This record gives sequence, C-alpha cells and structure tokens, in this order.
Amino acid sequence: MGAVQLKAVRKLFGAIEVIKGIDLTVEAGELVVFVGPSGCGKSTLLRMIAGLEDVDYGSVEIAGKDVTEAPPARRGVAMVFQNYALYPHMSAYDNLAYGLRRAGMARADVDARVRETAALLQITELLPRKPRAMSGGQRQRVAIGRAIVRKPEVFLFDEPLSNLDAALRVEMRSQIARLHHDLRATMIFVTHDQVEAMTLADRIVVLNAGRVEQIGTPRQIYHTPANLFVAGFIGSPAMNLLPATVDAAGGLRLGWGSVVTPDTGAHSGAVGQAVTLGLRPDRLSLVAPHASQARGLVTLAEHLGDESVLHVQVEGGPQITLKLRGDVAVRLGDRVDVGFDLKDACLFGADGQRLPAAASA
Amino acid sequence: MSRRPTPVRMLAYHGLMLTISAIFLLPFYWMANSAFKNNAEIFSNPVTWFPDPFRWENIAALLNRDDFPFVQQFLNSVFYAGTVAVLVVLSCSLAAYSFGCLRWRGRNLVFALTVCALLMPTIVTFLPIYIAWSRIGLTGTYWPLITPFLFGDAFFIFMLRQFFLGVPRELMDAARLDGASEFRIWWQIVLPQVRTPLVIVGLFALVYTWNEFFLPLVYLRDREDFPLSVGLFTFQSQRAAEWSASMTGALLTALPMVVLFLFTQRLFQRGLTTTGLK
Repeated sequence: MGAVQLKAVRKLFGAIEVIKGIDLTVEAGELVVFVGPSGCGKSTLLRMIAGLEDVDYGSVEIAGKDVTEAPPARRGVAMVFQNYALYPHMSAYDNLAYGLRRAGMARADVDARVRETAALLQITELLPRKPRAMSGGQRQRVAIGRAIVRKPEVFLFDEPLSNLDAALRVEMRSQIARLHHDLRATMIFVTHDQVEAMTLADRIVVLNAGRVEQIGTPRQIYHTPANLFVAGFIGSPAMNLLPATVDAAGGLRLGWGSVVTPDTGAHSGAVGQAVTLGLRPDRLSLVAPHASQARGLVTLAEHLGDESVLHVQVEGGPQITLKLRGDVAVRLGDRVDVGFDLKDACLFGADGQRLPAAASA
Repeated sequence: MSRRPTPVRMLAYHGLMLTISAIFLLPFYWMANSAFKNNAEIFSNPVTWFPDPFRWENIAALLNRDDFPFVQQFLNSVFYAGTVAVLVVLSCSLAAYSFGCLRWRGRNLVFALTVCALLMPTIVTFLPIYIAWSRIGLTGTYWPLITPFLFGDAFFIFMLRQFFLGVPRELMDAARLDGASEFRIWWQIVLPQVRTPLVIVGLFALVYTWNEFFLPLVYLRDREDFPLSVGLFTFQSQRAAEWSASMTGALLTALPMVVLFLFTQRLFQRGLTTTGLK
C-alpha cells in the first residue's frame, strides 16, 4: 500500500480557483477523511488524486511515483462513487472483472480474483445479478468489491454512504472500517457527515473554500480546533462561539456583560483585545439564578430521547446551544439560567485563529 | 382540478380528429385501392371504393417488368437507407459522446457551429459539393450519397447529445479508472445506456433516406443504380398512362416504411417529443 503526497496542488475552473495550493501527505495504510461544506473542493481534490481532474499546478505522488500526468488507470487507485457507478448492463461479476480484463489478466486469474473478492465481501450470491436487481446496500458492496478486486495502492471513497438509509449507513461504515483494518490499505474518504469522519478517520482534513483549515486526529480536530471555521464546522450541535474582550484582570468580558475566567488561567493578551470564546454545547448547563453566566429565553427545545438540545437566546447576547440529559423538563418559551464549564474552552483571536496555549494559559 | 369534458365536446373533438385523419389518409387509401385495379377501374364513374376483383396479379406484373427493375431498386434502397442509418448512428453517437461527455477546449464553440449547420439549406452547399465529387469522378455511384454521413448529421448529433448528457458521468469515470480507452467507454459503457435513442435515430435516418429523392436523382445516372424513390419517379414520368402499375409501385415503395412505423411507432413518438418536433 502506498502513501499519497500532494505538493502545492491547485485547480482552476476557468478563472475560478477551486483548490488553492494544498500540501498533504497521506501515509501508507492510513485512512484519511476529507470533510468540509458543499463546494469546498473535497471531491475535486479526490478526483485530482484519481486523475479524473487535471492538476493545474503542483504535483501528486502515489507510492513515491509522480503520477501528476498519469492516466487514472496507471495511478494504482480505485474509487467508490456516491451513486455506485456500477455498469447497469453488466452483471456484478462483469462489473468486478471489467478492470482486470482491461489490464490483460488471464481469464482464470480474473475468475479467481473476482470470486476471492466476492467471498471477502459476502457478495458471491450477487455475482450473476445486474445492478437493477440489487438493493442499495448490495450495490454499494459490489462497488466496493470492484475497487478491492484490483488491489490498488490507494482506495478513494467519494461520499459512498450518502445514498444509503441510516441503518445501512452504519452497517457499511463498520464494513469499511473492518476492510481498512484487514487490508491495511491506504484510504481517502470524502464525506460531509461528521459522524463518518469522526468514526472512520485516522486523521481528518478539514477543507474550506479550496484550502486546508486543519489536519489532525478526530480528537485533535474536535478538542483543539485550529480556527473559528473548524470550531464551528466540527461537532453537532456546533460549538458556541461567544464574542468577548480581555479585561484588566485577565478574565473575559462577554458581549452581554458577564465576566468569565477560563480554567486555563489568566491571559497574556492585551487588555481590550477582541477574542471569541468557544464552548461545546455539552459544557453548558442549567444553573440556579445566583450562579448564572447567561440568562435567556428557550427558542427551541429538541428532546431526542437520551439527550435534549436547547437553543437559548441570551438577553443582550447571541443565541447559544446546550446539550443536556434527555429528561430535562424545559420547554419552548421558558426563561433559563445557563452556567459555563470552562475546562475545555477554546479561545480564538480577532483573526479567527486559535490562540496558542501560551497566550491562553 | 381538470373539468370533465361534456359528451358534446367529446363528440365534436373526435369528429374533428376523424375528419382530419380521413383527409390525410385518403391519398394513401386511393393509392392502395388503385394498386389492385386496372386503369379502367381506377377511372370508372362512379368511383369504386374497393377493388373488384382484387387484382393481385398487378404485383407480379410490376416485379417482372423490364422497364422498371423494381427488385434491384428495392435492394438499392435497402442498401442506401440501411448503410446511412448505421453510419448515422455510429458517427453521430461518436460526435455526441465527444460533445456531451468529454471536456476539451472549444467544445461549446464547435458544437454551436455544428448546430448552425442545421440552418444551412442543402441547396446552398449542393453545387460546390457536387463539383467536388464530379472532379473526383465519383458521380454515378453511391459514394457521394453515403460518405457525408461518416461525418455525422447536425440534427442527429444535437438529438443524441441530449441523451448522452443524461448518462451519469461517474460511469465513464469508473471505466477510466478501470483502464478503458475513450473509444471503448463510448462503445462498451455509454452506447448500451442509450440504446433506445440510438434505435430512434437509426429509424429516423432510415425513413429519411428511404424517402430521399433529390440527391440520388442528381448523383446517380443508371436506372439499375436508382433507389426506389427515384426509380418510381422515372417510371411514372415515362409511363404516365399506366396508373395501375404506378400505384402498385408506390404502394410497394411505401409499404416497408409503413410496416416499420407500425412496429416502432412508440419509438417514433418518443423521438419526436424528445426533439421538440411534436
């Protein structure tokens, strides 16, 4: 299995630059997930690695070889598409065998390889069927089989689970994770689903507007977001981002007048410096009025069974989100007092970047 | 909510439709009716609406005439229309694949120019093209009639491109990753997805060429080389008084297309609605 290295890759569609100089190394055997909002360039970047889009500037290396100008079939990559992209007029067997035949493999070897892959994915009984005679999950398994059968250096997944229902998505997610473990394959997975990203990834690459915002393990991305974009994008419900200013005592004066002091200690930042305090919704709780750091009106109460999500409009401040136990008895229109647990709070400077530990300690 | 039409309106509607259909069908009926009569019966007064007796021998007589090589001209028409239909399907689908499925610089401009060719009347380009074929020395053969279709036809390219745009791009991407060349992707992956449109285009081309008159008339010289459209015309010109033979020839010329239409009318309708002609 080979590593993938992108060096300053850029892509333009006409005058619009959609990939703005990305440097990235995916180690051999690693599963890296590209996440980002729609139009951020994650699928384009994947297609550039696959050779389905030209690289306008920069280079792509796979397993140590520069493949920037190589056609897709010579890159040692296989791709699983969102809509499966199985050839509708061919049986599952022929779908799996097509690439092997194009590579000039002998008929007996093709047959052995197809049946071996089918057994691995438990799709042997599907081999004679055409795609229209399969369910969505079965099609996706065959599509994954078509990728595996070629034994590529790198697997590329372009939102492969987004057409499946919730239950099937969980099943297929665990199957992909198991495959990664069994094959020790290099995999790059594109998704906009954070759960997929957090559960599958060895490392996550967060993309926005054609740029990498942060690369890190799921825990790093979640707990120490590099900037306001990552903080707001990763996590559901999203992190609360509260405007504040550094006061003379090293505390933070929030927009509605409350002053809080993060557990990380006093700030070395200049007095009066505008910052943003980031707090995950599960770090907020309902408290008695005397301990209140924000008072507001519940504008939406989502009771999800094991948890409740409250959206509260703070008096004189922004809307905040709380993630509480499922049995909390709060309803739309209630007035509540909210307390902050500042243990894992994040602090961002005026430029949107996370303040380094020294500054926030 | 749509209002249910009243019986009077329905009656008026169907009456009008039947009348219009009768007006269109009458010449065809007269041709079929006359094909099985002799000249005296055709022009008898009052008009007889059914042949009595039914003169089947008219067909045998036509097929055995020395001055109208019907069978040879029928085979010429089959060759001409069949070859053009196959060439149109292949060349136009190849061009439509390029315009609809591949990305290359200037693609939209070239496609626009191709569509502009639809606006150019045949007669405008006819003379220089005729002179060119004449200089090459290929007038009097089917080369000038068939060769142009190797390069496609603007109308059918335009029509097929619409269908090709509907083929999921991921199918082609998957085939590229599987190592298929663009030609192989066109042939093995894309064409099977657009089989019905290809048949529609083939049928349109077949009917159009079967009925083509002007170009074969200009380019071909020998009676044995004529397709039926021209052969029937020359026969009627030379034997103007033989209405019965002319009508039998016309019936036999039209019959293959009528039968073809009856078996494929659903495809024709789909083709007409797709191209906005209906």
